[in-house]
Amino acid sequence: MQTVKIKEIIKETKNIKTFRLDLDLPALPGQYVMLWVPGYDEKPLSISYPGEDVGLTILKKGPTTTRLHEMKAGDVLGVRGPFGRALKISGKKIIAVGGGVGMAPIAPLIEKAISKGVEATVIVGAVTKRELLFVDRVEKAGAKVIITTDDGTCGLKCYTTHALEQELKAEKYDECFTCGPEVMMYMVLGIAKKHKVPTQASMERYFKCGIGICGACVMDDGGLRVCKEGPNFRDVEIEKFKDFGKYTRDASGKKIYW
Amino acid sequence: MLETEICGLKLDNPTVLASGILGNVGSSLRRCARQGAGALVTKSIGKHERQGHKNPTVIRVKEGYLNAVGLANQGIAEFGCEVATAKEGGVPVIGSVFGFSVREFVSVAATMEDYGVDAIELNLSCPNVGKAGAFFGTGEELTYEVVKAVKDSVSVPVIAKLTANTGDLVAIAKACERAECDGVTAINTLKAMKIDIKAGMPILGHKIGGLSGPSIKPVGVASVYEIVKETDLPVMGCGGVTTGEDAIEYLMAGASAVQIGVGVADRGISIFKKVSREIEEFMVENNYKSLKEIIGVAQG
Repeated sequence: MQTVKIKEIIKETKNIKTFRLDLDLPALPGQYVMLWVPGYDEKPLSISYPGEDVGLTILKKGPTTTRLHEMKAGDVLGVRGPFGRALKISGKKIIAVGGGVGMAPIAPLIEKAISKGVEATVIVGAVTKRELLFVDRVEKAGAKVIITTDDGTCGLKCYTTHALEQELKAEKYDECFTCGPEVMMYMVLGIAKKHKVPTQASMERYFKCGIGICGACVMDDGGLRVCKEGPNFRDVEIEKFKDFGKYTRDASGKKIYW
Repeated sequence: MLETEICGLKLDNPTVLASGILGNVGSSLRRCARQGAGALVTKSIGKHERQGHKNPTVIRVKEGYLNAVGLANQGIAEFGCEVATAKEGGVPVIGSVFGFSVREFVSVAATMEDYGVDAIELNLSCPNVGKAGAFFGTGEELTYEVVKAVKDSVSVPVIAKLTANTGDLVAIAKACERAECDGVTAINTLKAMKIDIKAGMPILGHKIGGLSGPSIKPVGVASVYEIVKETDLPVMGCGGVTTGEDAIEYLMAGASAVQIGVGVADRGISIFKKVSREIEEFMVENNYKSLKEIIGVAQG
C-alpha cells in the first residue's frame, strides 16, 4: 500500500470524475488498482491513465465513491497494485464496446492499439448524452467512434449491442473488447461469437484481497479468480463460467442473481 | 512417500489448504485439490450470513500479510452445494466452523457433517471478531465446553484451531484433549496492526487484524513443538509455510500435516505441488523413506 495525494480532479460527466494521483504507476490497459479511501473502504478500480500521474475514472455509485467525489486535490488516498491480467491486443483491426464507466479501461486500450498501428472502432454507450465518457479522447486518438444513448440524446438511439450487430454485419474485425454492465458484455460476447470475432471482456466481482487468496471473486465452475487470472478474460474462458450473466456473489460469498 | 494421516484422515501429501484462503466457493476449493492440496479446510462458516468487515480486509506489509476479513461467509444453509463441489476434488474436506455461542458451534458443525465433510475444524482462534473465534479459544473452560459439545454431536473427527494469542497455549491444548478432541491446528494469525503514517490511521477497515506469513512461522513451530511434547494430540502446523523446508520444520516439530495460507499469494495455487515436490527432494537427499521418519524427529 502506498499513500499518495490527489493531484487533480477532472469532472468527466455528471456522475463520473477522473482522479489524477501524484504517483507514477506504469500499467497495461485493463489492469486495476485497489484504491483505499481512508476511513471508508477499498475498491478495485480500472486504471484509465497508466503511467505518470496515474488516473482513475470513477462513477459515483455508493458511499465510498460518493466520498471520493467530495474529495479535493491534496487529499490522501491509498493505492495497491497495479494488479490483474491486461487486455491483450493481437488484432490489426479491432472493435471495442464500452458501456458507461466501462470506457475507463477501453480508452487507454484504444490509445495503445492506435499507437501500434492498429485500426480501431469504439462503440461508446451511455444512458444519456451527459453521461458519455471519453468520446473526445478516443476520437482524438484516431478511432472511428459510434455513439449510442438509451434516450437518443446523442448518436444512435439504441443499446451498444445493436450498434455492434450492425457494425459487424458491415465491416470485418479480427478482435473485440468490451467493458460495461455484465448483461451488456454477455450480449456482446454472443454477437461477436456469431460473427466469429474473438473477444476479451473485463469482469467485475466483489473483491477483498486483490492478490488471489481470499476467494471472494472466483468464477464458477473452474474457480478462476477475477482479481488474479482476470479481470480480463477471453471468450473461450468466459464460455465456461456458469455464473457469467447469471449471478454474482456478495461480500459474504452468497450468490446474488442478476 | 508423502502419505500421512491426521485424525484418521488419509492424505496423499501433508499440504493442506488453510481456512480462510480460497475457501468459501466450492469450485475454488476443488481447484486447490487439483493443484495438489492433500486436504482442504473450508472458510469458517457460521449460522448466519455475514458480510464481514469493510475493506481493506487483506494487505501486504513488510512483515507478511495482515487480514481482518471478519468471518464473512454465506451462512451454513447456503454452503451445502459448495461442500459437494469441493468434494469432487477427491481429497478430504474439513469444514471450518465458528459460532457466537456453544449452541451455534454445535448446530453448524452438525449441518456441516450432514453435507459430507470428512472432519470439522473448530475456529477457536479468529482474532478479528469479538465474542467469536479467539473469545472461546483463549480460555480453558470455554475451549473444553465447545469441543465437548461438538464432539458429543458429530461422529466425524473434530480438530480445534488454536491461537498463540493466549497466556498458555499448552493448557488450551490440554483442555481440548480432556474434551476428547481428535486433533489441533496451530496456529491462527497473531493480532496485529498497520498504521499508515500519511493518512494517520490504521489501514485495515477493522483497524486491528491478524498477521500471517513467514514472520509468524517460528511462533507456529514453537507452538506445535510444545503441544506435541505435552499432549498426545495429532497436530497440523500452520503459519508461514511457503516452501518444503518450512513444512519439514513443522513436521520435525511433530506436526502430522501442514496448512498453507497466504503462501498462495507468493507462489500461486500450485504451491501445494511445489511444497510437496520440495519435501520429496529433501527426503531423497537425506535418505528418508517416509514422512513417519521425519514427524517429531526434533522432539529428541
